[in-house]
Amino acid sequence: MPSQGLKILLTTAVLVTAFVGLMWTTMQDGTQYYKHVDEVMVDPDQWVGKRLQVHGYASNISWKPSTLDYRFDIQKDGYVVHAEYTGIVPDTFQDESEVVVSGRLEGQKLVVEPGGIMAKCPSKYEPKPVIDAASAGDAEGSNDSGGANN
Amino acid sequence: MATIGSYTLLAAFVVCAYAMAVSVAGARRRSLQLVESGIGAFYSVTALMTLASAIIVYAFVTEDYSIRYVDRYSDSVQPLFYKLTSYWGGLDGSIMFWVFLLSVFGSIAVKTNRERQRELIPYVVAVVGAVQLFFLFVMIVHKDPFATYLTEAPVDGRGLNPLLQNPYMAIHPPSLYIGFVGMTIPFAFGMAALITGYLDDSWLRAVRRWTMFAWLFLSLGLTLGMIWAYEELGWGGFWGWDPVENAGALPWFTATAFLHSVMVQERRSMLRIWNVTLVILTFFLTIFGTFMTRSGVVQSVHAFGEDPQLTVLFSIFMVLILTFSFGWLIYRLPLLRARNDLESWASREAAFLLNNWILLFSAFFILFATMFPTISEAVTGQRITVGPPFFNTWMVPIGLVLLMLTGIGPLLAWRKSTLSNLVYQFAWPVGLAIVTASGLLAIGFRVWVSGLCFALCAFVVGTISQEFIRGAVVRRGATGTDMLTGLIGLVMRSRRRYGGYIVHVGIVLMFLGFAGSGYKLETQVMMSPGDEVELGQFTVQYERVSETDDGQKQMITGHMTILKDGQSAGELFPARWFFRKHETEPTTEVAIRRSISEDLYITLATYDLSNQTAAFQITVNPLVNWIWFGFAIMALGTGIALLPESRLAFIAAKVPEGAATTSVLLVSLFLTGLGTTVHAQIAVPNGAELTTEQKQLEAELQEELVCVCGSCSHLQLSTCTCSTADDMRLRLNQQVSLGRDRDGVYQHFIDTYGSQEPIGAPIGAFNQLSWLFPMLVGGACLAGVGFVALRWSRRGSEFQESEASLPAAGNDVQLEARLDDELRNLD
Repeated sequence: MPSQGLKILLTTAVLVTAFVGLMWTTMQDGTQYYKHVDEVMVDPDQWVGKRLQVHGYASNISWKPSTLDYRFDIQKDGYVVHAEYTGIVPDTFQDESEVVVSGRLEGQKLVVEPGGIMAKCPSKYEPKPVIDAASAGDAEGSNDSGGANN
Repeated sequence: MATIGSYTLLAAFVVCAYAMAVSVAGARRRSLQLVESGIGAFYSVTALMTLASAIIVYAFVTEDYSIRYVDRYSDSVQPLFYKLTSYWGGLDGSIMFWVFLLSVFGSIAVKTNRERQRELIPYVVAVVGAVQLFFLFVMIVHKDPFATYLTEAPVDGRGLNPLLQNPYMAIHPPSLYIGFVGMTIPFAFGMAALITGYLDDSWLRAVRRWTMFAWLFLSLGLTLGMIWAYEELGWGGFWGWDPVENAGALPWFTATAFLHSVMVQERRSMLRIWNVTLVILTFFLTIFGTFMTRSGVVQSVHAFGEDPQLTVLFSIFMVLILTFSFGWLIYRLPLLRARNDLESWASREAAFLLNNWILLFSAFFILFATMFPTISEAVTGQRITVGPPFFNTWMVPIGLVLLMLTGIGPLLAWRKSTLSNLVYQFAWPVGLAIVTASGLLAIGFRVWVSGLCFALCAFVVGTISQEFIRGAVVRRGATGTDMLTGLIGLVMRSRRRYGGYIVHVGIVLMFLGFAGSGYKLETQVMMSPGDEVELGQFTVQYERVSETDDGQKQMITGHMTILKDGQSAGELFPARWFFRKHETEPTTEVAIRRSISEDLYITLATYDLSNQTAAFQITVNPLVNWIWFGFAIMALGTGIALLPESRLAFIAAKVPEGAATTSVLLVSLFLTGLGTTVHAQIAVPNGAELTTEQKQLEAELQEELVCVCGSCSHLQLSTCTCSTADDMRLRLNQQVSLGRDRDGVYQHFIDTYGSQEPIGAPIGAFNQLSWLFPMLVGGACLAGVGFVALRWSRRGSEFQESEASLPAAGNDVQLEARLDDELRNLD
């Protein structure tokens, strides 16, 4: 009769193996590499055909009239990838907006999945810093961590 | 003013440190004076935090933009309501709000337990004080909400993000905070029990209601977040497994597990280590969730910003929490051994244990998947993300198993269920599930997951109904009343048990809503005037897109006519609003045609005013409203379970025969009477003279038309008091005086103000109800909490006296014993 410790050990081993196996199987379809544009485009051949989430800044957004077909560039640090997308884009998707785009690299072009454009949305926690001429000095001051009180 | 605020926080820090030190010293030296001094200082922290809160609210109301926080999160045109809610609109203020809530909750917990839990209270003060001290420290050194500009203050603030100027978003964060902060109290009592070694079940009794209360508000916060995402973000869904959402769900799972496992300890003195672990984990996850969403450690579509200093502070705090709490737990393991063993897997405690494992697994799975990109980057150097499909692959089956256990658990007997007992308990519910599944198969349901979910829902409803009916029959036999009175008496006598069943009914309704998403229909189309799209039973005809401006914002509105099964089903007006100062962040004004069976949900995406083309996302969301109704039922059940046991038991026992039935009939009649519409009407200053018919029409239209100011959640003109509503009422008066009929006035308003989605919709009452429901639930919860607090504060000798003076007390004891025997036989 095996001891209680052995029983627990065996049960745990079976559960952990089952869990890891299931996790591995389900992950094969659900995962994407999260990369910045420069990381991908420095050697694009390496990433062709793989599911990617590409992080960068949108530019040259063009829209074919009377359709939902978009073409745009995603760029960062001088590297650019051209992207194609059909569908509705988020409200905050504009030139220079920070985006995370899901899709597959086909040649030099990123074919975006349906609903694959996420534009970083403004949050209540960290509002966009607004620096205008009148408050530029203060705004810079306000971005530091401590700050002094009057 | 800012200086007073900063010094108040500093004073709170010092007083809190004193309360903590003195309480521990008092407990160790067994000095009552020191302990009392610590409690006094602890109350003083609440007073100081109330003062600090009053100062920041005053700064918002008086538009003191020299305070950076006020400048960042409000502006002069913001309605007063949103100025008040801006208090917790940003990180600095939300931390202060956290400490304020914790000080209030801590004081109530100490006040209500100081006599019954004398040994624990000093350490409860110390633990709650330590948590307060951490957040006060963060505010003082890093995130001071009273920090001011060094030079000239801005003339006007930057304003709150328009997306957040939404009633749900105003109350969603505080209810989540109440849930998060409330979990500190059970942790404090758990730690106090570990430190003192008083590990009998008394600490559990002290924290059970607190956990239930915090759990309720956590659920409310999560539900409001879902409603906000659904109605405001316009993507057609309500839960996207974003790290921010996940952070709120993590402690919910462990708290739910604790609420179940605590029953096993009370009844069978088992799972004692497990319960302390769950309390520690729940508290830890509230802190971890806060850390995750604010430190930038997890990438999210929400731009939280990265804050290395905050990351370090939170990391140190979390390590201290884990070391301190699990250190004490390991030290006290000998005192926490179970006094009973699991006798059979066919027992209620086994079902609860399984339920706990699954809930805990859910929490850890979500945590793992949320952190997976960070973990994979740390281990492999590659950041690999997992999306909603991965979460759904795991969480859908887990949810179904949990749903099944919701039905199984309460029907199993404690210790061991015999075969005959199992047959007696499960025959009807299983039969109901089989009949439902067969019916669904017969009518050709195609999504098997949803079909299985419906069948399980039927099973759980069967088990709960059976419990109620059998209990009511026993009660009727015991008291000689009718069935309905017996039922109400049953619920009132055993509120925790039957309140729990009602919570389960709410869960079933929510699962119905989740299952409905299996039948979701969705399309994205570019349309020209005259085009139409068919989706499910609906035909959506596009007419035109218009542009209007009300001074505060520019509004682009799509005009759509809806047909259902070929019959006219009203109009919808999806829109995009461009608020002043936030022109680059347009808000999506979703148009929703609600019904019990499904929502038709339309958002306007892109548009071209010159050729009148526009792109729309059109979605049919079956059963989605059942999720919100399910939550309301869940809240009702929790409210019943939270009610104090003895007082209302007496009331229920005294109910005369048939009184409940009569009361229900009278209430039903009253509610039916409410169906008759009574039009409230606000008099219009400088309005034109109207005939009787015109006045009637004006009154009706004031009920039907909604304010478009963008900040009052589309209140009817008869109720909204803002200046926009004044203008709209005057315009309405003028239009009616010109002799325009209802349609003419509608058209004029649509042309003038753009989106008027709820106008004249035949489902308006339902629409209003679904908006009101969470508010009502929130109000009811607060009233319930007030009642409970009042009840607790009166506990003691006064209550015993009043009970002793009751002539029927002896009868109650007999009745109680008899009923308990009969209910036990049912198990």
